[in-house]
Amino acid sequence: MNQTIQANPPEPRVLVETSRAVPLVTLSVTFTQGSVLDPEGLLGLTRLTGRLMRRTGGGLSADQIDTRIDTLGASLGVDVTHSAISFQGTCISRSIEGYVDVVKDVVAKASLSEHEFNKLKSESQAELLSMLDSDQSVARHWFRREMFADHPYGRPTGGTLVSVPKLQHGAAVEHAKRTIRRGNLLFAFAGDINPEQAQRFAADIAAVVPSGASPEVEIDEPRFVSGRQLVVVDKPDRTQTQILIGTRGSHPKDADHTALHVANTVFGGTFTSRLMHEVRSKRGWSYGASSHLAYDRRRQPLSILTFPKAEDAAPCIELQIQLLEQWCEAGITQTELDWAKNYLIRSHAFSVDTASKRVSQKLDEVLYDLPKGYHEEYLANVQAVTLEQANQAVAERISPKDLLIVVVCTEKLVGAQLQAIVPNLEHYKVIPFNGEVQTETKT
Amino acid sequence: MPQSPELDVDVTRESLLEQANLDAPEGGKIKFLERLPFGKALTVDRYQLANGLMLLLIEDHEAPVVAYHTWFNVGSRHEQVGKTGLSHLFEHLMFNESENLPAGEFDRKMEEAGAEVNASTWLDWTQYSSSLPKGQLLTAIPLEAERMAHLVLKPPQLNSEKEVVANERRFRVDDDVDGAVNELLWATAFTEHAYRWPTIGWMADIEGFTTEDCLGFYRTYYAPNNATLVVAGDIEPKVVLRAISQSYGPMPRAVLPLEDVRPEPPQTSERRISVEKPTQTEKLVLGYKSPAFGDFDYPALSLLGEVLAGGRASRLYRRLVRELELASEVRISVGPFRDPSLFELYVSAREGHTAEELLAVVEEELLRVREQPVAQEEMDRALARNELSLLASLETADGKASTLGFYETVLGQPTSAFERLAMERKVSSSDLRRVARRYLVDTQRTVVLVRVKDDDDDLEPNSSSDSDVEAA
Repeated sequence: MNQTIQANPPEPRVLVETSRAVPLVTLSVTFTQGSVLDPEGLLGLTRLTGRLMRRTGGGLSADQIDTRIDTLGASLGVDVTHSAISFQGTCISRSIEGYVDVVKDVVAKASLSEHEFNKLKSESQAELLSMLDSDQSVARHWFRREMFADHPYGRPTGGTLVSVPKLQHGAAVEHAKRTIRRGNLLFAFAGDINPEQAQRFAADIAAVVPSGASPEVEIDEPRFVSGRQLVVVDKPDRTQTQILIGTRGSHPKDADHTALHVANTVFGGTFTSRLMHEVRSKRGWSYGASSHLAYDRRRQPLSILTFPKAEDAAPCIELQIQLLEQWCEAGITQTELDWAKNYLIRSHAFSVDTASKRVSQKLDEVLYDLPKGYHEEYLANVQAVTLEQANQAVAERISPKDLLIVVVCTEKLVGAQLQAIVPNLEHYKVIPFNGEVQTETKT
Repeated sequence: MPQSPELDVDVTRESLLEQANLDAPEGGKIKFLERLPFGKALTVDRYQLANGLMLLLIEDHEAPVVAYHTWFNVGSRHEQVGKTGLSHLFEHLMFNESENLPAGEFDRKMEEAGAEVNASTWLDWTQYSSSLPKGQLLTAIPLEAERMAHLVLKPPQLNSEKEVVANERRFRVDDDVDGAVNELLWATAFTEHAYRWPTIGWMADIEGFTTEDCLGFYRTYYAPNNATLVVAGDIEPKVVLRAISQSYGPMPRAVLPLEDVRPEPPQTSERRISVEKPTQTEKLVLGYKSPAFGDFDYPALSLLGEVLAGGRASRLYRRLVRELELASEVRISVGPFRDPSLFELYVSAREGHTAEELLAVVEEELLRVREQPVAQEEMDRALARNELSLLASLETADGKASTLGFYETVLGQPTSAFERLAMERKVSSSDLRRVARRYLVDTQRTVVLVRVKDDDDDLEPNSSSDSDVEAA
């Protein structure tokens, strides 16, 4: 039995997907404002506050809470995105009552102790430092920062090694008061639970969350990169590079979003896409090669990821630009369109094969301001895309003249080749992988 | 008099097999072996074809999807010095041309069917997985059978795939601190056994493979009597049995070579290595010799690992990360392999702290589990975490097929995931102390201390000069 309950305000909004396949219940308690609420200069505050709540629920210590959760056969994490703070986890269904008590303590009765705040801050700094070991994480971090520049989407949700040490306990306490509000609450339950139980648990939790709503933050549409920009993130001893190429993408509210999604499936969305075929299958240059259209409340970029060895980085970028230009100029073929539609329609079964995936789709519709019925109508919308629509969407939305190219590599090995290979390059910038901008030149 | 339910099942199965075997090729005649319970609601039927191919079917109509897995009893343990990484390279090559399909057609047809296709190789096995919408299973079966028996290997494709694998190695090992250190740990801990080389292979070996190497490997190991098919999900057994019998039946058995794996001699003294890597903070990696996955002691040692480092309430996390603030991350894993392997402990230090500081605390905690009993509450917590993890892994058809295929290939007992949990429930505090005393001892360990490499140091990464074996 699958059911969605959309209660009338001021009742909490509760999404439910029931399945008895395994004796597990997945629960998500989401507040519909995320790290865009970080005050100026205090990047990472929302995430730190969410994590502090997770560790001080019910006035307990972090150890006591973790012990309670583990004993129940459960998990509970905090996911902070630009658009939401979400406490989510899973429990063995026999423990659901105790689990809801823990969640209630976390979202509404956290002590936010200063002692734990200081520990958490130190831990967060250590995690940010560890992240520098992952080249792909470093590439993604700088890609977002450079792509969105001063827009809130360019701010790292976890903060930076500069911002996190400046965060103060008092600011976290105040931030929790502002953001953890009943008016922003959204519940999602999936698995071995019926709608009546879910409604009861949600009401139980909501009753102890302070009333009111968090301040509305109006987010402008991002202004995407203009011209071609190359950003080299310099890291010593790299035999390989991590390359992210991006340009303006779309939002599901755009009329041509589905058409662009189908066309992107041909370009870089599958193992047999054009990108994968040219970069990996024919040339063996990169283990992975894919393009991706993400969504949030406002438009996101189209991003293309490859990771060739240092010697192949320049020709690999050159090839990707050529492929992008061909895609925009000539579009895709009818055969490619038919193939992509078959793939998307048939593989959709794996987007809805568990209760937790189904409820996540419903949650996304609310969180990311998707068109009503976006997921329910997805198959029909894909089926309806024509060749003309797909190619028009690519031609109008994607601009190969306006590209951000972020490369994590050892600059002294490949920097000059990269600069030389990108036609009409307007800006070249080198950023040390563990710091701020080092040099900036205009070519 | 009403028939017993069991008799009904037998009659139905007999009729299924009769239909499947009606015009089956000689090697495709299917024999029913047993029905096994899998959790509270599901059962697994185990069959075997006359040519030796094992087949596991699990019918589950929760979602209109099917997982189709092929598990081969070949992994990096079957390789030889100078030819390491062949199993993994071959896994890549299996997505190439075959006698009846041009290069790229396998993936194209599978994706057109809506399939999610993947593969993986480890020390003991290689597995290929496809997840398909319900109605597309009959597309996948002949395609999977085709590549199992009729793969074509040509130099251009081999060369391109070698380059892809070399890039995968750079990604997972050469430019990845954890991957590089893990490789070093195993290469130091083992001196004889094939577990000493990495599944992805040494770079020089990857670069040196020829089509003859690959063809020889294919003919030797990719045979029906060296494989298990697992089909899980929304299936009609009658249809599946017949399609598998027809597609795989013509394949002949192969004469499988005797395994040439050398047992690892007992380790009698600590091995310690200090290595510099381009990382932000020091790391400590320990490998204690541990029992095989099928060993009686494995469940107890696995539970002990959970007590020590499973989640934030575990002993090592509490001490190293929370109380002393020396580390940012702690994790433990016990090798789930056919032969004895390693109980691995990884700790990442915080800035300004050393691997030796981490080691001192780890040693205190290991001494504690060797000397003092673990409280029942801690064991219960570890058991609950393991139960949650098992149940979560069975949410999808693919998860069920992975679990069945893994246990069948490593232990020959497909449904023993649940038996393992039952065995762990029987583990006592004395068992934990016993395995701690037996396995977590200094003389049977390898220690890798990872130092922060100075940015100005011009040493080539991964060159032999950047590690230094110390006498313990």
